[in-house]
Amino acid sequence: MPNILIVEDDEIMLKAIKNILSKDGYTVTTAKDGKEAFEKLDKEEYDIVITDLMMPYASGLEIVSKIRGDVLKKHIGIIIISSVGSEETITEAFNLGADDYLKKPIMAVELLIRIRKLLANRKTIKV
Amino acid sequence: MFSNIANLLIEAYEQYVYLPLFIQIALAFIIFAILATVFAYFIIVFKRYQGYVTEKRKNFITPKIEEIITDQVLLNEKLNEGIPVDEIEFDLKALNHKMFKKEWVRQALIDIIIQYRKNFRGDLGDLLRKFYLDMNLSKESFEKLKSMKWEKKIKAVSELTSMDIQISDVTILPLTNSTNPSLRSAARNAYIQLSKNEPFKFFDIATEPILPWDQLELYRIITTTKDIAIPNFSRWISYSSNKSVVAFCLKLIAHYDQQAAIPSVIDLTSTKDHFLRAAAINCLGKLSAEIAEDKFLRIYNTQPVNCQLEILKALGRIGSGKNLEFLKQEFMFSSNFDIRMSAAKSIIKHNSPASRILIDELMAVSSEENKLILKHCQNPLIKY
Repeated sequence: MPNILIVEDDEIMLKAIKNILSKDGYTVTTAKDGKEAFEKLDKEEYDIVITDLMMPYASGLEIVSKIRGDVLKKHIGIIIISSVGSEETITEAFNLGADDYLKKPIMAVELLIRIRKLLANRKTIKV
Repeated sequence: MFSNIANLLIEAYEQYVYLPLFIQIALAFIIFAILATVFAYFIIVFKRYQGYVTEKRKNFITPKIEEIITDQVLLNEKLNEGIPVDEIEFDLKALNHKMFKKEWVRQALIDIIIQYRKNFRGDLGDLLRKFYLDMNLSKESFEKLKSMKWEKKIKAVSELTSMDIQISDVTILPLTNSTNPSLRSAARNAYIQLSKNEPFKFFDIATEPILPWDQLELYRIITTTKDIAIPNFSRWISYSSNKSVVAFCLKLIAHYDQQAAIPSVIDLTSTKDHFLRAAAINCLGKLSAEIAEDKFLRIYNTQPVNCQLEILKALGRIGSGKNLEFLKQEFMFSSNFDIRMSAAKSIIKHNSPASRILIDELMAVSSEENKLILKHCQNPLIKY
């Protein structure tokens, strides 16, 4: 089953997304901040990273930048979930290499569809 | 032991009585200061203990509540089966759990549901709302609205707004005009979000000001709330005696480009308050109200500098080209630097063949300082 890393400093949101994705059959790992995310990214392989933008130690944009800057991690799909909806931030996130962007409050169904689409796209690219 | 202390106190008092007056006063102050310090420390310790207990309770109850919300809402199978949210029933055993009889647990439950609802919309958001209603938590929120404490009232207003629960006008309208700025602001924000048909009704009764920061927040809510009925704001321009309401309406008229409001805004340029007059002129400029240009020129010389600057800016925004000669005169002969600067910006903003010819002409005949102003204003990176 695809392995997903959720990076979110809001514990309630973190648990909620984890529950929703686990129910859909994904293997889910969580990180409460950028630092923990970097540690987990170094230890394990992930198919998708779902990250918030504003977090302690390292922002979501830094996480995107680090993943895209690493040849071994370039294949990871990145979805950003944030309440920050300014055009500049969204553009910057996409420029850095994010695959998708969801603005809070999110729809659980929408998140699941986007994850499935992203995974399908990645598979096609690999083939 | 107590008799010893009592004897000691009596002895101390007997000695105290025979002391000189200034020593007595000094001793009284010292004793008062010691008692006050002890009392303050006691309060601090008590408050910290209270905080510790609250935190411990919260840490204990939060996982349990989250578990229930996860089972009943997040992972509710009926959502996936396509059953409408209104028809989904929760497990009564979970809803009637004895822990939910305690007031502090119910408050923790409300706080967590709100937190979830801020993060989720769609069916999940609606199901969270249904859970809140089925748990009869709205009763708690409405109870808080009746509290004498303004903090509790604000909390109630915020809870009901987050849960999209209607509050009757009789209850909330008086709060929108409360003398407490925080409560007033929260109630006004809630009123706009909850009252979809007449969200600006509180403007009618507002005698308390809408503070600048509150205007920003209201503006954000108005422009981001979906399906909000936008009225013609000129009605408040015409009859509201609350200057902050009028000033705020001018900003909204400009934002929604309400051309029908132009006559009322032109009338406002005759008001005695020059700040309001400047705001009205600014609004007319943003509305590109060509019809107002003649009045601007008529009143220009009798205005204070802030209004004159707004008139010059407005002429630039309208950009009809009829008043280039006037702008040229102001640019060349005004002794006020800001006036010359605004006139130059307005000429450039016209961006027409006539204005470009005028700029070339001015570059040829102007003083060094005026040339610098023109060059500065021609910089496209400088916003106007």
